[in-house]
Amino acid sequence: MADELELLRSANPFTSDGPLYGDGPLDHHAERRLNRLLHDRRSRRCRLLWSLAATVAVAATVLTLVLGGPSSTPAVAAPRALVVQAHSTPVSLKQLAALAAAVAADGTPALRRGTHVQSWSLGMSDGKPPVTVPEERIVRWNADDSHTERDIEDGRVLKETTFPPSWSDVPPDARPPHDVAGLRAYLQETAYSKTPLTTPELLSAVGELLDHWTLGARESAALARLLAGADGLRPVGEVTDRLGRHGQAYVYQRSASRLMLIMDPATGAVLGLENTFTKDQPEYGVKAGDVMEYSAWTR
Amino acid sequence: MSNDENFAAAYREHYWAVSRYVARRLDGRSSEVEEVVAEVFTVAWRRRADLPAAPLPWLYGVARNCLANAVRGYGRRRRLVDRLGNDESAHGRQVAAGPDAEAPGSWVHDALARLSPADQEVLRLTAWEELGVEEVAVVLGCGVRAAAMRLHRARRRLRAEIDRLAVLGGAGR
Repeated sequence: MADELELLRSANPFTSDGPLYGDGPLDHHAERRLNRLLHDRRSRRCRLLWSLAATVAVAATVLTLVLGGPSSTPAVAAPRALVVQAHSTPVSLKQLAALAAAVAADGTPALRRGTHVQSWSLGMSDGKPPVTVPEERIVRWNADDSHTERDIEDGRVLKETTFPPSWSDVPPDARPPHDVAGLRAYLQETAYSKTPLTTPELLSAVGELLDHWTLGARESAALARLLAGADGLRPVGEVTDRLGRHGQAYVYQRSASRLMLIMDPATGAVLGLENTFTKDQPEYGVKAGDVMEYSAWTR
Repeated sequence: MSNDENFAAAYREHYWAVSRYVARRLDGRSSEVEEVVAEVFTVAWRRRADLPAAPLPWLYGVARNCLANAVRGYGRRRRLVDRLGNDESAHGRQVAAGPDAEAPGSWVHDALARLSPADQEVLRLTAWEELGVEEVAVVLGCGVRAAAMRLHRARRRLRAEIDRLAVLGGAGR
């Protein structure tokens, strides 16, 4: 049998003489970008500042967790989708946005960089049934712009990594604004979109934002107002989320899945997002009612 | 040559090599590859005064940092969404031209995927980017001896995974 490096070499997905990314002259995009760097330096946004010396610890822990494999977290019973309480009165997002604006009047709590998120997501691999992967992640930023990420399981710290100082003014690393128009543009940039976001895209970008920042009252109020204007997000009533908190649920129905946004009825802050299959997908081993992904954010 | 000229020369010479480096680590999702490569060269432009005489391993090092950031935010969600394929929120970011699942290389990829991220990286740098151990050390920001040691261990573990897969499925023999 061939040498393992030889085998790996023969499995190179992109080679220098391949059709995609093969060596050759720059294409139009690459040429334009080079010109912009060389000639347009003053107008260019200061996008990223790095401390290159920083040996960034490989962030693939998350990938390992999702992809499974011999060393991954063992499968746990998949938690069930949240249930809307019967006979509860739905509160419209407009009402909730008004409440959030009132609560934000004194500006507390304040925006904080970093996050505390608990998530459950379906990890899939070929030929095996999907498993639900639970994850708890706490990211705290320090005064010197360094930050620490902690992965926690059952209250035990699995992994703690401190990253050296880094800065960025690109969303979602950049500080989120607390006006609706600014936040809309911020979320659009977070989603790498050149066009206004659809509601599922918007919700996905909100998740991204909350994975980086713990919003203050003002940002939450702007977000609630923004969400109140999103198409197809329907109030359905009260739920108790997986952390035992009361929430108001808003649902967006897609062809084969349902997105549920859970908001705090007292403050208008986003508590969680749930993505549930509404149709069987036998080729992926999932059934209607299975939760594809659920994230709950706490301060 | 000025720093600017050096940078432009390195950009022209290595643009596609950096694109391949990124594509190999993003399963070829083409829209993201372009974004990350643009970021790599933006960072490199800022640091052009530090551009070494042999810039490619240094550029890979920059790319590695950029990818770590990109992966941290997006990898998890996208992977799930990509699996679904027809999901709206994937908005066109499906796999563009990943390796063919039926290709003889796919089980080698499986073996590679079973290793730790650090093992995978040192192996890919050696086999796919075709770097020597000194250059691997530049990318990983470690000493040459440490790089050699990492490669040695990673090869052994890859060998073990390949053997295991061969026993399980009779693949590759």
